Amino acid sequence: MERIIENRLQLKKRVLVVDDEFINRRLLEKIISEKYEVLQASDGAEALEIIKENRNTLSLILLDLLMPKLNGYELMEILKEDETMNRIPIIVLTSEKEAEVETLNMGAADFIQKPYDVPEVILARINRIIRLYDSINILNATQTDQLTGLFNKDYFIEYVGVIDKYYPERAMDAVAVNISRFHILNEMNGRAFGNEVLKALSDAIRNCVSERQGIACRNSADRFYLYITHVDDAEALRHSLAAGISSLVKDADSRINIGIYPNAQTNPDAPKRFDCALLACNSLRSDYKSFVAFYDAEMYKKETFAERLVSDFDEAIREKQFIIHYQPKFDVTGDTPYLASAEALVRWKHPELGMISLGLFIPFFEENGLIQRLDRYVWQEVSNQIACWKKKYGFSVPVSVNVSRVDIMNPGLVKEIEGIVEEAGITPNDLYLEITESAYAEDSDRVVEAAGKLRSLGYKIEMDDFGTGYSSLNTLAVLPIDVLKLDIDFIKHLHTSPKSLRLIELVVDIARFLGASVVVEGVENSEQYNTLKNTGVNIIQGYYFSVPVDSEGFADFILERIAYDNRQKA
Amino acid sequence: MITVKRLKELGCDTDKGLERCLGDADFYLEFIPDALKKERYEKLEALINSKNLDAAFEAAHGLKGILSNLALDPLLEPVVKLTELLRSRTDTDYSELLKEMWERYNLLAAEM
Repeated sequence: MERIIENRLQLKKRVLVVDDEFINRRLLEKIISEKYEVLQASDGAEALEIIKENRNTLSLILLDLLMPKLNGYELMEILKEDETMNRIPIIVLTSEKEAEVETLNMGAADFIQKPYDVPEVILARINRIIRLYDSINILNATQTDQLTGLFNKDYFIEYVGVIDKYYPERAMDAVAVNISRFHILNEMNGRAFGNEVLKALSDAIRNCVSERQGIACRNSADRFYLYITHVDDAEALRHSLAAGISSLVKDADSRINIGIYPNAQTNPDAPKRFDCALLACNSLRSDYKSFVAFYDAEMYKKETFAERLVSDFDEAIREKQFIIHYQPKFDVTGDTPYLASAEALVRWKHPELGMISLGLFIPFFEENGLIQRLDRYVWQEVSNQIACWKKKYGFSVPVSVNVSRVDIMNPGLVKEIEGIVEEAGITPNDLYLEITESAYAEDSDRVVEAAGKLRSLGYKIEMDDFGTGYSSLNTLAVLPIDVLKLDIDFIKHLHTSPKSLRLIELVVDIARFLGASVVVEGVENSEQYNTLKNTGVNIIQGYYFSVPVDSEGFADFILERIAYDNRQKA
Repeated sequence: MITVKRLKELGCDTDKGLERCLGDADFYLEFIPDALKKERYEKLEALINSKNLDAAFEAAHGLKGILSNLALDPLLEPVVKLTELLRSRTDTDYSELLKEMWERYNLLAAEM
């Protein structure tokens, strides 16, 4: 670094000489001015002004102790308390032995004795201290998070290793801390306010780790990691952290979540300890009553299960372990319901774990992005199956496939779907594309753009899980959709709550207004069927008609539909 | 005009003094008049006589600093003694030491 500054930039580093005796200042200037730019101050007060003005460029302060106005000791105290100035090293100029010890204890980097030693020695000491502090300052800048001053994660993990090395017997907890709904705080009050909250929490964390002989880092955004001696009272720890932000955030106590991996030192994988603590912390996300969670055997089991699924994914795709089932959807607008389309549902026929339903693996794949590959696999399999039915029976019904949020973000989405459809030899009319309402709500511009493009090519777009994603009515009007698919929850209370029924009628009205049809899924019995039919719903899907069936089983439904069509013609 | 040779003859450790000035005799000699400004010594004497020992210590300490850096040893000796007594704020008769300081001072100042 020093070489870069001197050789490439041709800059001299700046040194301030503070001494009330002009002769002493000039002597030092003579000794060091060839290598350094020298600033001078004749007392502490003048020095303080110069330091304030040059705080970012001063490389060293050479400081006499006995001076008028503000003496060297007083100036050192002031500088020590100021974070923007305490990075500048100080070499004390003194003839007093006691002062050497005292000032070193106060934070002086070194001392130069009066009368001055030979110039080479003085210069060497100055060079050494400047080099040393340059390195320390660079290290500090890279090892700490700028906003909070806490370690960044990489250095934190290094220091965890150091604690392990020196205190292998000490029971330590890995703790993950986060502020729930922090993004809302940020959005409502601005980023500057959010930063203030993070700084206040960091101060509380600093106090906590210093009391509990530990260290802490800011992992990302509002996530922090602590490595501290074993905590007996986790609630007390949580309260002390919440107290740190209580002057800024009204409901502070219900905003701090902590996940604890107790006795984490027993796990030799240091980063993993904090993954576990974070996992515990994240388990509190949807729980508005609990604020502390411990990483335990159940979590471990769930996590290892997830890891197993992820690691077996490639093989599963290769060996076609993902089996597509088809749930028939019936048009109920006429007197006789008839097969209108189907929904493709994927299950995993795992060679060792048996049949795994989609609810168990989809959330993990959504988290790590594998869902994109699974979706692609499903699109291909379904397209090929439709082509197969068409070839065999000269007819098929459209099949709905899922388009995940992450697919929408893929700029090549339209091209990929087109490629698959073309390769299978089917047409866009044969595929319905299901996009969840929450995806619309999260990034509506992107979804509108992608869905609009696909729709213009002839694909039907279905909004899945309608009623869970909080679409606003006015955005609904501009969304390119052909089908509103009602969330299964609407049906659950159909006969216990008159409001549920009225709500479905309203949705049917909205759909009509938008020119879309309404699909209700999860219909299980004739009572539900009859009620829904009377509301004007177009399509019904559910156990009332059929459970999801494999491709062979679904062929029977196609044959029935062909027979129905023939009857209609006759 | 005082010379390095003359200062050496008067007992100053000019080798040391010059070393601190990177061997630059002109630079070294430039400081001698300043170090020998009569007011500095008069101020020290006045402070001692008025029993303002805190300020007297600071003045003596400052003088000691420049005299030692310039290696004006003959004058440095009494100033060091004064500084040490004043450091402990010793309430004593300083007249002998002050007299010695002035004698040494006059010897050097006469060369200016």
